[in-house]
Amino acid sequence: MTQDAMIDEWYPVGLFSQLDMNGHRTALMGEPIDVALDAEGNAKVTSGDGHTLPVCVRYGHVWSSLGKPRKELFAIPEADQPGRRFVDVGVVRVRCSPLRAVENFLDIAHFPFVHTDILGAEPHTEVLDYKVEIRQDKDEVWATQVKFYQPQAAKSASGGITTEYMYRVPAPTCSVLYKTCPPRPGEWDVITLFVQPLAEDLCNVWPWMALFDDVTPMTDLIHFQQTIFLQDRSILENQIPRLLPLDPGMEIPTRADLTSVAYRRWLKRHNYIYGAQLVAQ
Amino acid sequence: MPARTPAGPIALWRSQSGRAAASADRCPHRGMRLSHGFVRGEALSCIYHGWSYARTGNCLRIPAHPGLTPPETIRVATQQVKESDGVIWVAVGEPAVEPPRLEGVVPLRSLTAHASVAAVEAATDALVWQAQTSRKIRLLLVPQEDDQTLIHVLVDDNSSPSERIAASRAAETLRRLAEDLQTKGIA
Amino acid sequence: MKLYDYVLSPSCYKVRLMAALTGVKLEIRPVDFHPGAEHRDPEFLALNPAGSIPILEDGVLILTESAAILAYLASKTAPEWLGSGAPEEVARIQQWLSFAHRLTSSLGGARLHEMLLRPGDIGALQAQGIAALRELEAGLVEQGLRGMRFLASDRPTVADIACFPYVALAPDGGIPLDPYPAIRLWSRAIRGLENFIEMPGIHRLHELKSEPNVEPGDA
Repeated sequence: MTQDAMIDEWYPVGLFSQLDMNGHRTALMGEPIDVALDAEGNAKVTSGDGHTLPVCVRYGHVWSSLGKPRKELFAIPEADQPGRRFVDVGVVRVRCSPLRAVENFLDIAHFPFVHTDILGAEPHTEVLDYKVEIRQDKDEVWATQVKFYQPQAAKSASGGITTEYMYRVPAPTCSVLYKTCPPRPGEWDVITLFVQPLAEDLCNVWPWMALFDDVTPMTDLIHFQQTIFLQDRSILENQIPRLLPLDPGMEIPTRADLTSVAYRRWLKRHNYIYGAQLVAQ
Repeated sequence: MPARTPAGPIALWRSQSGRAAASADRCPHRGMRLSHGFVRGEALSCIYHGWSYARTGNCLRIPAHPGLTPPETIRVATQQVKESDGVIWVAVGEPAVEPPRLEGVVPLRSLTAHASVAAVEAATDALVWQAQTSRKIRLLLVPQEDDQTLIHVLVDDNSSPSERIAASRAAETLRRLAEDLQTKGIA
Repeated sequence: MKLYDYVLSPSCYKVRLMAALTGVKLEIRPVDFHPGAEHRDPEFLALNPAGSIPILEDGVLILTESAAILAYLASKTAPEWLGSGAPEEVARIQQWLSFAHRLTSSLGGARLHEMLLRPGDIGALQAQGIAALRELEAGLVEQGLRGMRFLASDRPTVADIACFPYVALAPDGGIPLDPYPAIRLWSRAIRGLENFIEMPGIHRLHELKSEPNVEPGDA
């Protein structure tokens, strides 16, 4: 099942700051790989049969691929903006499809029920219309003008605010979220979800953030994001089927799910089907 | 709570007015298990997005769209539920008869064994019930997936608390024996 | 009182939960347990050579065992959480407090392995976890037959708080709670307590709130 278009994509395989010469054994799409530092201090990724795999180090993480990436890793221009703090949130393993993990990240309607009193709360459950498009120039899914009432939108937020979101899917298992930045109106906080597909129904999730927040201690920022993601984890491990259904009929979307609808269509069009289910079973 | 029938996993729930209901254990929106959900009034809601369903299976409410009356097509499959003598019975399809009466006994507890029904039955035969459990113990065995068995234990309705505790312990012994038989491949 | 805390640690959550239930205000000092392994730093080893959290600091008193911290919080502010003092109840509380260590090593070990990639024999950890859950289930069934809803008495004690977090989070380690109806009822009883707080992986009991009447445009 690895012979789909996803084989040539970049995937996160570790935090660069945690690499050492001993390295660690992990996996990519069912293949064992080793991630380590070489004698010059560069990241090195080796396949189970000893072949050197492509490597790049970006956004705090080591990225690799089992295939031949046809382009560089997607750009996050904000990551080069001065004044931002970069937060390595660390890995969390989830027994779910890597695509389900991304789809959940693109969803806001679950906030009042899963992230209660943090990212959402009843009675503020309504999802207002927003815009979704596939940007042809970069071939990315974008959702913009997503607005939602949040009791505690960020560690730096005090009290409830209506937060504005923009979502971007630049790669099949990665998403970048731009979010209202409480301490600096006019700027966007960047929160990402980088997903390493271990198998079709198992993934390592590496959240990462680039924030304007000079006040909050780093550990608090990490814990805030870990809290959010661990609230999602128990949902993700209990969805049936584990694989993401790409054909309509198996699951019922509403207007609030337009980002997910676009994401699924985009995956199907590109034959990004590792972790997907094509026929209703 | 989650349960299982030959027609698949179900979410078994009791509404505020006390009526038991059985819904398929999967929200048709995003596939989340409904047995993780919550009951308000006469509806079962999914924990993921709060979509709520009536006892009859139709979707009542989609919180993301408060103005929307959910179309009839959004529904979960349901199964018939009957409560009798303290036991909840779920029917797959249209039952021709009422559930059997269990007079003179009351339900004690339910436990899952990692053993087939055959192994549990073999263990029942092999087990010399202890003297303190001279009172009747009745078992209802329901096969589960992966060769597991759900054992519902019933005891005489006039047993004392200490006799009931002894019966509960006897059921644990029975399970150990059944699992032992299963492991050794005897049953 | 200062708690060295990790938001995803069930043992730290025991302390936060106990404090919330008894109305104790804690000063929280977050520890970067994952990914930073800050609890292994020299500063922390000086505080607790075992290299574990939670750590509770109250003046000169430093406590590093969660059961001791629960007992301390309870005796200071809400002694009813230590039970009535009846011999059988005292013994039951101690029994379950000791038992809680097995939950930590089995269910907690499986959770760390499955979630944060810590080393371990996952098959053995899960098997030990299931064995412990079965004991707890049987214990709760017997308590129910004695007319008691909680582990040592008809009201919650430190024993319930010591056992609850690792049990509630067992599914994080790939151990389903579906087969344990008595644990389910007990867990709901704890989650329904006044001033109960959650941790990630334990969802809000939304049924405790009535259905809001939401009109479009309210958001």
